[in-house]
Amino acid sequence: MSEPAGVLLTAADLYKHFGGVHAVSGASFTIPAGQISGMIGPNGAGKSTVLNIMAGVLRPDAGTVSYRGHDITGHPPYKVARQGVIRTFQLSAEFSALTVLENLLVAAPEQRGEQLWQAALGKWYWRPQERKNVELARELLARFEMAATEDEYAGNLSGGQKRLLELMRALMARPALLLLDEPMAGISPALARRIEQHLLDLRGEGLTMLMIEHELAVVERLCDPVIVMAQGRVISQGTMADVRADQEVLDAYLIG
Amino acid sequence: MSVAWQFYISTVLIYLGVDVIACWGLNLQFGVAGLVNFAFIVFQAAGAYTAAVLTLGPATPVRLGGFQQYVGGAHWPFPLPVLAAGLVGGVLAALVGSFAIRRLRSDYEAMVMLVVSLIATSVATNQVGLVNGPNGLAVIPKPLATMVDLSPIDYQWLFVGVTAVICVCVYWLVHIVTSSPLGRTLRAVRDNEAAAAALGKNVTGLRMLAFVLGGVIAGISGAVLVEFISAWSPGSWLYPETFIYFTAVIVGGRGNNLGVMVGALLVPVAFLEATKFLPQFGPAGLTAALQWIVVGTLALLFLWFWPRGVIPERRRRFPAAASTPARRSLIRARSGP
Repeated sequence: MSEPAGVLLTAADLYKHFGGVHAVSGASFTIPAGQISGMIGPNGAGKSTVLNIMAGVLRPDAGTVSYRGHDITGHPPYKVARQGVIRTFQLSAEFSALTVLENLLVAAPEQRGEQLWQAALGKWYWRPQERKNVELARELLARFEMAATEDEYAGNLSGGQKRLLELMRALMARPALLLLDEPMAGISPALARRIEQHLLDLRGEGLTMLMIEHELAVVERLCDPVIVMAQGRVISQGTMADVRADQEVLDAYLIG
Repeated sequence: MSVAWQFYISTVLIYLGVDVIACWGLNLQFGVAGLVNFAFIVFQAAGAYTAAVLTLGPATPVRLGGFQQYVGGAHWPFPLPVLAAGLVGGVLAALVGSFAIRRLRSDYEAMVMLVVSLIATSVATNQVGLVNGPNGLAVIPKPLATMVDLSPIDYQWLFVGVTAVICVCVYWLVHIVTSSPLGRTLRAVRDNEAAAAALGKNVTGLRMLAFVLGGVIAGISGAVLVEFISAWSPGSWLYPETFIYFTAVIVGGRGNNLGVMVGALLVPVAFLEATKFLPQFGPAGLTAALQWIVVGTLALLFLWFWPRGVIPERRRRFPAAASTPARRSLIRARSGP
């Protein structure tokens, strides 16, 4: 299987039902590389289910997800993540009894000293890499203006700081594709604008993202292609202008 | 110091060593990895039985005057039964973990563990040929006793030394785990499994690793105890014993190796020893029954008021960098055109 040029991930004809509820019924879309794809749709449209399928948390009843030309359908979440597909959570999912810096260090991929035999070799074996990771984590903290919270337990952070931590931690995992589940949910407009700017900067550095977002103004500012879902299907994919012109989209929003 | 006191103190020290080893094992599972292993005592017992039968030698059939029946008897020299006990504890943990940890969420996991504990007791009690049923095993030869010619009290102190050496080895094992990136990842899994998986951590594998290591350590602690007291029966490893260890870990400080060592000193040793010095009051057995109530209350009080324990999990700080490095891109190179 191979992707058309410039496409990082392809979802083809995904189906998923929970009991009698058809959460996703025939969703197909592509995520182009180097852009922020927006995913919008009314509540219950199947957006989070689709994200969970891409991240490996849910196995689809039918359909495939291919990433960089490889079929990753049904791979467990950790294997999907190791290939560079990193997701964030709608509700903050910090490691509450770890410090902010430790939260970031956990995310570093391919750590020496994360296997028992490596740990048994002692500090001299994993310390040098650990130092580099600490440096990297501190760069991120500085960039997100969170340096002062380095030694704070993540559980003690404010809601907004937790959202920033979630984003930093995802970046620390060295993503090639970042799946953001409502990254600005429940935070102040000022912080939301800061996060917006961070996402734009990251896109400028070449990161591909998919963002579930309810605020259409935000989607309009950030997202190049927009994927519109309703009742488990993708009813439209294109630029925001294309999508706006689509009668089916208007209906979905008015009805949904 | 009189010989009687020396006997008492050395005995308490050995019990302390056993309890500290056990608490380190349980801390690795419960404190660090968040596994609620209500069957902990089963792994200790498995180690104890293993060490016992590998020290006792082959069982003598009943018609030849044998008074205890068990499987797999052998005469192994001293450190080997203890190592085998660790191995059996670990293998049993892998077995139990394969159905209790791989598929279940932590609250159900705790229930399964409790059930495992009850089943194990009833199997060992009723399957008499396995480990001699309800009578358990007795007259297990003392390790090294035939090789060294010591007075009973000197032998006691030798055993204290042996226990201390084993403690140091086990500490090394738990320390390399908790102080390394592996320990940090285990704590992350404990705090949020889904988030850890989303960052590429093999959550099931990591939880199994902590569970098996805890099983190995539990087995070793049981082996040291049985080699010392020379007897072991199902009555001494009922599930409430697990809660003594849980209380010790909670009181001492979940996730802190030094803390749980203090917990082991405070709960199973100091607290339970102290009750022996109370004057007898009420009907026979009242003090023993009250012990359980007090231990339970102690655990509750700590969970309410000092949930992090006497010596809480350490907050890891990292030394400041010498210089600010240049900003690098965090994004992986993309494939394709």
